[in-house]
Amino acid sequence: MSNSMIIGQYVPGESFVHRLDPRSKIAIIFFFVLIVFFANSVMSYGLLALFAIGAAASSKVPLPYIMKGLKPVWFLIIFTFLLHLIVTKEGDVLYNLWGWKIYEEGLVQGAAISLRFFLLILVTSLLTLTTTPIEITDAIEELLGPLKKIRFPVHELALMMSISLRFIPTLMQETEKISKAQASRGVDFRTGSFKDRIKAVIPLLVPLFVSAFKRAEELAMAMEARGYRGGEGRTKLRELSISKLDYYLYALFILLIIGLFLTRS
Amino acid sequence: MQASRWSAYDITVGALFVALMAVGANIASVAPFLSVLGVPLTLQTFFAILAGIVLGSRLGMFSMIVYTVLGLIGAPIFSQFSGGLGTIFSPTFGFILSYIVLAFVVGKIAETKRSPSLYVAASLVGVALNYLIGVNLFYAAMNFWVGGDGINYVIAWSSMIPFLLKDITLAVVAGLFAYRLERSFLHRTPLRQAKVS
Repeated sequence: MSNSMIIGQYVPGESFVHRLDPRSKIAIIFFFVLIVFFANSVMSYGLLALFAIGAAASSKVPLPYIMKGLKPVWFLIIFTFLLHLIVTKEGDVLYNLWGWKIYEEGLVQGAAISLRFFLLILVTSLLTLTTTPIEITDAIEELLGPLKKIRFPVHELALMMSISLRFIPTLMQETEKISKAQASRGVDFRTGSFKDRIKAVIPLLVPLFVSAFKRAEELAMAMEARGYRGGEGRTKLRELSISKLDYYLYALFILLIIGLFLTRS
Repeated sequence: MQASRWSAYDITVGALFVALMAVGANIASVAPFLSVLGVPLTLQTFFAILAGIVLGSRLGMFSMIVYTVLGLIGAPIFSQFSGGLGTIFSPTFGFILSYIVLAFVVGKIAETKRSPSLYVAASLVGVALNYLIGVNLFYAAMNFWVGGDGINYVIAWSSMIPFLLKDITLAVVAGLFAYRLERSFLHRTPLRQAKVS
């Protein structure tokens, strides 16, 4: 479990989508989310779906991983569809099931809204499936760069993100260890009412906090000993770079936008 | 946001709270006793409140921003080990967003006077904010996505009552716990000592 914690959703690979610059991916997804709301005809939805499914297919991420990303909202997509099917009463009656009528408009609206939802989730989860959190952290630091002008601590944001990624598995293990240690000392965790369980949280959290603060202190000292002086003038081990692939993506995306506005009704 | 520079210590302790939030969201998976009637307890609100009190309003809020962004970019640190940009479209995303506001407000209140009763009061304000923002955005999201009268406002609230009771209890514990931390070692850390540089 600890290993999967660091990697998160990321599925390693060498595909076109994996090799794109993370900044390009974030920017394209941002604009995709915006243009999805402009689609209003079968053709325009078809184009968007083609782009999204094409991207998912070319990423070569196995289908089960993609489905896992959709899991939390599956219910919502189906619920939305059914609700529109039942509630909307416009257009021709398509089907009559013992007096329960399905209208054309209901079917169309239900399908359109759930498809839009599906596309949004698919494309956004593709980012995190094909990019490591560290890469995204670097990209965010660069993309948010302009915010430094209004004194938003962009560098600190990125650094804190990287440090937390390092801390999470350690603290998870620590919690598990403490919970076992306290149980072996006879703290009764297993039985008892809601109140007792809440109380049992305390002997778990006190040692967790003490050791966690110690870790933070040690790391801060190590950083200072190595001469950490904030973000200014700091260089990077991994430099991001825009390649030919990224320009292909931009061209493709511009074609998508043009296509979308031509096929709108 | 003000310009004052954060020290290395501020950054590591801030990151620590991000990690604690991640642990708190899924604590039942490492400490299985923390589930009641099969429903795993989450301690996110608990740690968000502590972040506000322990780190203060600015750093506390900032660490919650980091938590949100880190989860959105795919680290599985939201409840049930979920994460990823798609979470934005989850109807319960409002609760995650509320931690940012919560930590700031709780921190502001706790900064005025360091006493146990004020800490508990600040924590309760935190839970109130958590639910006001969370439930209203839940309601808005359901109506936006589902459309029409997707869900009744009263139903949205009443489905949250069991969780609300749990979080109120935990908030009181959080307030008292924070004060205990304060007395035992927080006052010795750089967080509470006047910044020299």
